[in-house]
Amino acid sequence: MQNNSILQVENITKKFGNLIAVNNVSLKVHGGEIVGLIGPNGAGKTTLFNVISGLLPPERGRVLFKGKDVTGAYPHIICKMGMSRTFQVTKAFASMSVEDAIRVGAYNRHTNKETIRIVDQVIEFCDLGKLRWRKCADLGLAALRRVELARALATEPELLLLDEAGAGLNPSDLGALMDILREMNQRKGVTLFVVEHVMQMVMGLCEKIFVLDAGELIASGVPQEISQNARVIEAYLGKRALR
Amino acid sequence: MDALIQLLANGALMGCIYALITLGLSLIFGVMNVVNFAHGDLVMLSMYIAFWMGSYLGFDASLTPLITFPLLFIVGIAFYYSLIDRTLRQKYVTQIAVTVGLMTFLRAIAQLAWKAQPRSLPYSLISGNFQIGSVTIMTSRLISALVSILVIVVVAIFLSKTWAGRAIRAVSDDFDASSLMGVNYKGTYALAFGLGSALTAIAGGMLMTFQQVDPTMGLRFGLLSWCVLALTGLGSISGLLISGIIVGCAEALAMGFWDPRARMLVVYMIFILVLWLRPRGVFGRK
Amino acid sequence: MKKFRFALLCLLVLLALVLPIFFRSNPYNLILLTTILLYGVLATAWNIIGGMGGQLDLAAGAYLGLGAFTTGTLLIRFNLTPWIGIFIGGLVAVLFAVLVGLPLFRFKVKEVWYALSSAALVEVLRIAFIMWEKVGGPVERYLPSYGSPLYMRFGSYIPYYYIMLTLLLAALFINFWISRSKLGYYLIALGDDEDAAAVLGVGVRSSKLKALMIYAFIVGVTGGVYACLYGFIHPNFFSSPLSTEVAILGIVGGMGITYGPLIGAILLVSIRELLRANLGGQLESLYLVIYSTVLILIVLFRPRGITTLLQDGFNKLFSRWVRKNHAE
Repeated sequence: MQNNSILQVENITKKFGNLIAVNNVSLKVHGGEIVGLIGPNGAGKTTLFNVISGLLPPERGRVLFKGKDVTGAYPHIICKMGMSRTFQVTKAFASMSVEDAIRVGAYNRHTNKETIRIVDQVIEFCDLGKLRWRKCADLGLAALRRVELARALATEPELLLLDEAGAGLNPSDLGALMDILREMNQRKGVTLFVVEHVMQMVMGLCEKIFVLDAGELIASGVPQEISQNARVIEAYLGKRALR
Repeated sequence: MDALIQLLANGALMGCIYALITLGLSLIFGVMNVVNFAHGDLVMLSMYIAFWMGSYLGFDASLTPLITFPLLFIVGIAFYYSLIDRTLRQKYVTQIAVTVGLMTFLRAIAQLAWKAQPRSLPYSLISGNFQIGSVTIMTSRLISALVSILVIVVVAIFLSKTWAGRAIRAVSDDFDASSLMGVNYKGTYALAFGLGSALTAIAGGMLMTFQQVDPTMGLRFGLLSWCVLALTGLGSISGLLISGIIVGCAEALAMGFWDPRARMLVVYMIFILVLWLRPRGVFGRK
Repeated sequence: MKKFRFALLCLLVLLALVLPIFFRSNPYNLILLTTILLYGVLATAWNIIGGMGGQLDLAAGAYLGLGAFTTGTLLIRFNLTPWIGIFIGGLVAVLFAVLVGLPLFRFKVKEVWYALSSAALVEVLRIAFIMWEKVGGPVERYLPSYGSPLYMRFGSYIPYYYIMLTLLLAALFINFWISRSKLGYYLIALGDDEDAAAVLGVGVRSSKLKALMIYAFIVGVTGGVYACLYGFIHPNFFSSPLSTEVAILGIVGGMGITYGPLIGAILLVSIRELLRANLGGQLESLYLVIYSTVLILIVLFRPRGITTLLQDGFNKLFSRWVRKNHAE
């Protein structure tokens, strides 16, 4: 599982009218890794995730998941194959309870009776026991993020895309999230592909990091290298200076 | 052959009016993603008002838009604030449901007030007809079509040149960006709804110069405008005219060569065909 | 609480079963009850595509008419008993439903187009069947009587009442079963957020289609019974007002709640019949005015439906009763 690439992004280009959001990006993620995707705001990270998870078709390029071409495939098919994701702006199932929302994910691979067991497991794993019967619409941000994660986890993915799961969390919630993610990776072998702004999470979790700026891949490597990479620093500091 | 040209001529002229009706619908749909199910019934309503003004006040049908346009503009804005605005935050089903309720309401009121009898006005300033070769053209139809085209052009200019018009376009194109730039979305929505509704008044008044009105017209004009809208997609005003003419001609040909009862059948078949093949419309920009 | 609810349910079903005995001498009330049951079935079935599926379906009349014409024509031409015919009618309805739904449930096509198509479908079928002289035509086609229960023809209304009641119970049960099943969860999820549902494995199009097919089947079967009830078939069965009414009943009653549309049906159909009895055919459209007004009011102020009002009221009473009896 360590050596084959579970996700291969080849020359993906995504345009919105005349705006090129993602420009000829290629990258590989290997099974079992925790990989980060960082870059300034508007760099195209979420767009890339949308293309990979099937919500948007690319103008050019291919996405290979577990060796199979899933470019432009329906999101639910990709989920059945073993990829799921969370969203930057939480997309809660407002009318459902936490338990029911997680159950939706559990149905991905299980039938009615089994889902109850899976839901119990996931709720325990993500420490949502106390909120089990609350409506998603009534939850605060930190809890919602955990529910998003729990839902995706219930689908039993091999690859999980996380879009800014750490944003807006206080240090203790952040720590708890990182613990859950580490456990998911080590105990359950889930490959994690993480878009993140919170540097603590990126540096603390990721084995490898890709850097996107203005739709282009400008650097890749281990956290040490990235933090010292001149182009990366310029991409961040340069934008900050303009403000 | 002559019959064919006659049918096509009539169909094309009607098509221009259909395009005008659809313009109102398209404006509202483009801006707030709401298809006003009651749109066709607004046409019917303005026809009935024109009938009333013609019978009791002696107005010529073609002049009624002078009164009904501002009237329906205000009514449209009132509908927006009382009905539509509140539902925008809710599920899509409820948004459409409220316009379905409005449609049912208007249709039922019309049925109660005027029964099922068709009403028409005996004559108009622009009655009469003339010949071009072997084809007879009713003056009222021709003028109605020309007025429709004129109004469409005026609205197109309004949308591209005036501040209000550009606000409408901005909100349809990119809601988030436009609200960031300070465009008041509520006011723009209300304006679009008012304008879209008021345009039906012009169509209604012109139609009353040569047609009769009955409570089932709402459904007919509704279906016609949805068909033209599906064919056009969003964002193309010239496309509206072309689609309208296509639908008008198809309807006329069906009535002439197949069966008078088949007019809606053909329109619906076009509608469903477009939705099957190209849900975004044939002429749309996006 | 659960035991109480179950007991209440049994009581209601029992009541419904014995009701006709009280009205043996007054056929009018029996007809009224059967009509309420009929709309109850239609509205409850509608809940599957409307309340759970999130689609504003306005084609109930289309599927009803298709069921009626299939059953009726099979009886007229091939002497096929309606007891079988109604299920074939259901299948025909499903076929048309799929024809409309398949292109329109594609990912990212807005719901409004389905609503429009369904509304148009009813009208078009009506015209088509008026023009199709062989099977339809502008005049009623009477079903051969034979006077035999084997052909679903009875001397009194009572058997029809029980058939409708069976259909209603079946529709309620199907509703209930779906809401506890994978399909139910998937439908609610994609109603809340389609993108999130999709990435969690919910097949958006297939879920909506399944809901549509189940709904169309139930309505189609009901259409077959409808034809036997009236004793004839006529293109006006493809009724737009009826289709709109069914949707109104579903929305006003309470979308997504199993017995919600039934409550809506009981309330609104009673009002309609009351109006008809007191004001006669002259002011028939008045009930539509009332229906649409109620719809608009509910949508604006209580979008989750009248049933939630009743539920809240009931819960308040119940908790007060519990407190009273347990405080001592």
